Amino acid sequence: MNSTLATVADATARSAAPPAARSLAVRLLTLVRREFWEHRYLWIAPLAVEGLLIVLGAIVGHRQIHIEDTDFDGWPLHAQKVAAFTILQWMLSVPVCVVLMGAVSWYALDCLYAERKDRSILFWKSLPVSDGLTVLSKAVVALLAAPLVAFLVALVGFLVFAAILSLRTAAGGVPAYFSWDLIEWARTELVMLILLTVAVLWYAPIVAALMLLSVWARPNPFLWAFLAPLVAPILERIAFGTHYLASFLYYRTFGIWGTLAHALTQGHINIITHHGLHPIGTLLDEFNIAAALTDIDLWLGLAAAAVMLLVAVRLRRYRDDS
Amino acid sequence: MTAVIEAHGLTKSYGAKRALDAVSFSIASGRLVGLIGPNGAGKTTALKAILGLTPFDGGLRVLGLDPRTQRDALMREVCFMADVAVLPRWLRVEQALEFCSGVHPRFDRSVAEGILRKTDIRTTSRVRELSKGMVTQLHLALIMAIDARLLVLDEPTLGLDLLYRRGFYDTLLNDYFDKSRTILLTTHQVEEVENLFTDVIFIDHGQVLLEASVEDLGGRYQQLTVAAEQAERARALHPFYEREVFGRVAMLFEGRSAAELRPLGELRTPSIADLFVAKMQRSERT
Repeated sequence: MNSTLATVADATARSAAPPAARSLAVRLLTLVRREFWEHRYLWIAPLAVEGLLIVLGAIVGHRQIHIEDTDFDGWPLHAQKVAAFTILQWMLSVPVCVVLMGAVSWYALDCLYAERKDRSILFWKSLPVSDGLTVLSKAVVALLAAPLVAFLVALVGFLVFAAILSLRTAAGGVPAYFSWDLIEWARTELVMLILLTVAVLWYAPIVAALMLLSVWARPNPFLWAFLAPLVAPILERIAFGTHYLASFLYYRTFGIWGTLAHALTQGHINIITHHGLHPIGTLLDEFNIAAALTDIDLWLGLAAAAVMLLVAVRLRRYRDDS
Repeated sequence: MTAVIEAHGLTKSYGAKRALDAVSFSIASGRLVGLIGPNGAGKTTALKAILGLTPFDGGLRVLGLDPRTQRDALMREVCFMADVAVLPRWLRVEQALEFCSGVHPRFDRSVAEGILRKTDIRTTSRVRELSKGMVTQLHLALIMAIDARLLVLDEPTLGLDLLYRRGFYDTLLNDYFDKSRTILLTTHQVEEVENLFTDVIFIDHGQVLLEASVEDLGGRYQQLTVAAEQAERARALHPFYEREVFGRVAMLFEGRSAAELRPLGELRTPSIADLFVAKMQRSERT
């Protein structure tokens, strides 16, 4: 009886009306995972750099730091130890973010070009995934998933580093140069999260432009990406004697940082002074987050990014080198 | 029977060259159609138009949808395999299964796994580690796990050895093809698959030279083999193609009755391959 019912159920399931499409979230998640399968450097590079920093920092690097040499000038020793700790936290995170920028730039240039180069675009297009969703998933990887991976790698990496250092200190192998402070640790992570967020928002049009190159460039998007910003300003200089393009590129690269932390970019603030060390968290007092997030050029950039991504979607529609 | 594909004056130009010149044809549901033509005839262009991979002029409906504007909906019902070796080399077999399950509502992972179990393909392998034949097996496994109404195959067995080609078509016919599905297939190796087709469309220089079901071919075309001395009498009946075979002459006729031809020599239904050669040579002359 059961088996008969099961057979009937089986048969009807086969001929039933089209099953509901996979939910958007599931499809987007699948597409994002796909990107990390193909572009493994997006998670391997941050991991490798963090691993290297941990090994260098925790096992050999501490011998080079001579905190006693600085003039404490009345600073309590504990505060100096906490500040030194957050500076280490910074040093273990910034290289990861630098690597992230390189990885994301490469990824943005490659993500829509690789599928044309190896002709796998014909396979991806044989599945019910729209060009819009495909490009969206790649933008999500470049602007959200990859930065998040790098941030988490740096966060966990530093905890591992701190644990190793604490163990060595407890065992008496290393003098107690550093003090753990939960609040200062969190403030430092917050500083990095703010910088990362502003960087993602400010650099989004650059990422979108690279993705547009990736979908558009016939022979090689990498050539375009490296040569165009170098050659175009020179040509402008020769042809018109002006340098609008160079200033524009410079502004689009560094412009937001003056808005976010004016004093910092002017060199008025230093973390390490002859008075002693300042915790990284003190940067929070310098940030003008509201000014950065309401910056008109930031929003114009985001609008330009959206337009470029839409153009990329249109171009991918019939882009096919075969 | 409703038409799965309906083309009316389908036209596609690359610059001055017309890859498809006002082509019209219709493909009914539940058929296995061979789209046959020499290189550059417009086969691939026609397939690309059908799959919404290229813009075109003229009328074209696939499963009632316009491939230009409704491609996303179309791809839920249609599956295609364009040439061989378009699976990305970095992809692992298990990732391919995972991906298809994640994005395709009609993909049944257990079907694909069942097919793969019969092969030597390991799920941990990357595509780059597989032989060309195995990649095609993998692709076929993915496609067969998709419950599609229309399957389009563009030279699916190109560059494969005979064993894989045989296996490919056997699997396709025995385990996949049924009355609810339509398969459109292009191939160079006409003689190898001609027994598969229920319908053929010959295409050359962007034009349809012949569109017929295989059952109808026997009624429409006759191949007569006559001794050399009978050749003149046979020629009077206007064959559209002839060639010499071992001192005898094989001629192809269109629309002649068996009663007219049988007294002259040996009569049979031409093979699709012979008909193809004849049609193509005639189109070269004109």
